[in-house]
Amino acid sequence: MSKKYDKLGNDVFNKVEKINSELFTLTYGALVTQLIKDYEDIEQVNIKLEQMGYNIGIRLIEEFLAKSGIGRCSDFIETAEVIAKVGFKMFLGINAHVGDWDADRKEFHLTIEDNPLIDFVELPEQYKHKLYYSNILCGVIRGALEMVQMKVKCTFVKCTLSDDTTSEIKVVLEEVLSDMIPVGYD
Amino acid sequence: MSKAPANIVDRPLSKGKNEINISSFAFLFSEMIQYCQDRIKAGHELEKKLSDMGYSIGPRLLELLCVREKNSKRETKLLGILSFIHTTVWKSLFGKPADSLEKSTEADDEYMISDNNMVVNKFISLPKHLSSLNCAAFVAGIIEGILCSAEFPARVTAHNVAVEGKRFPKTVILIKFNPEVIERNA
Amino acid sequence: MTINSIYILNKAGTLIYQNDFGNTEKLSHNSYIRLGSTFHSLHAIASNLSPVSGSSSGIEVIETEAFKLQCFQTHTGIKFYVIADPNHQQLEELLHGVYELYTDYVLKNPFYEIEMQIRCDLFDYKLLRLLGVRE
Repeated sequence: MSKKYDKLGNDVFNKVEKINSELFTLTYGALVTQLIKDYEDIEQVNIKLEQMGYNIGIRLIEEFLAKSGIGRCSDFIETAEVIAKVGFKMFLGINAHVGDWDADRKEFHLTIEDNPLIDFVELPEQYKHKLYYSNILCGVIRGALEMVQMKVKCTFVKCTLSDDTTSEIKVVLEEVLSDMIPVGYD
Repeated sequence: MSKAPANIVDRPLSKGKNEINISSFAFLFSEMIQYCQDRIKAGHELEKKLSDMGYSIGPRLLELLCVREKNSKRETKLLGILSFIHTTVWKSLFGKPADSLEKSTEADDEYMISDNNMVVNKFISLPKHLSSLNCAAFVAGIIEGILCSAEFPARVTAHNVAVEGKRFPKTVILIKFNPEVIERNA
Repeated sequence: MTINSIYILNKAGTLIYQNDFGNTEKLSHNSYIRLGSTFHSLHAIASNLSPVSGSSSGIEVIETEAFKLQCFQTHTGIKFYVIADPNHQQLEELLHGVYELYTDYVLKNPFYEIEMQIRCDLFDYKLLRLLGVRE
């Protein structure tokens, strides 16, 4: 399954229009510094970044569906692979890996490599383990999945900017919103 | 998998060749504009707010590009810095040079850089009540930040200019230098 | 091949975009809204008519002597439908093209409020170009 989605992710990424990632990296940096100025409290910054990501996710999902041609996933395991291999590749050109499943298959960790958001970034000591610099990604995943009727909770559990060896997001499936599945959808 | 050195200054500077989906930037930029809109009192403040966010990027980008361009020296001539912006800066941000660089015929201290297809505006349609807004105010802010940190203080703004035979206007970045810059260059 | 009209309904079945092309007779704004919500209801009823539960996708095509209606519903519940010449063969591709334009020129526009009426010049412009190429 993973191989199939690796290929699809590459194919879609090759097809989309691309730009140099630095404009994106610098823009995100400007946004985070502005939020720190506006909110002062770092926990509020984490929350705001997640919310902004959510707003992006509920829109981005349409492009994801339209341009990848992916249909409904059969289970959450497949959803996880699609996010990692197609989603991250298609939008950021990077790889993510799925691991650390719990026994119920409702919770996994997403390990992200070469995250373009953190190029050039070094966190000051006082922000380490406090600011989740790339927290916007958690919101994007939550927003996108909610639109395809899955309510999830995403949190950063490790971040290389806080001296961890990897960057990992924990994704927990809380509920499948069956009532929200469009009428006439098989 | 090789581990990058923990300290950011021990890592080689990225070559700036990584690419991402243009949509990722567009979604981020759109969310940033909405954030700015929520925090202003009147419509015309939006440009100022966007420009301020761009401004913080200017000095960082200038430094990055100067280090990367192997034989670059500090620009001390007015035309030198303008052509650096028109070509090097534009290429690194948008993947192509700007369409033109002109001196204003009306004022001695004004220069104009035009872009017929401004990347940041690619997906943006302006509402009727904001038809004179140009979201490239963000780019104008970046340019102003570069000029000020290169000791060419100036006021930089973005404008919509109609083009004959075209349905949508082009973007003109207007650079108005401070008097001391013009005197020094005379 | 004539394309008469394109409609977009949001998840709740509210009309968020409608446009007529060519010589199609114009109706009042309220009529379009009514047509949109009527179609939404018919689509829901049609999907319940299937003898095997959960196996019908609702209305995909309505063919008549005078026109053909083709509908495409996204996984998120948005409906795009087009009314065209009965002999038109590429309406599915056309609707997918409209969906892609929607993801680009509507959803990436910071001034568009999600679920609301679509008023985006670039979307209108690109849509006309899309139809122009195929007509």
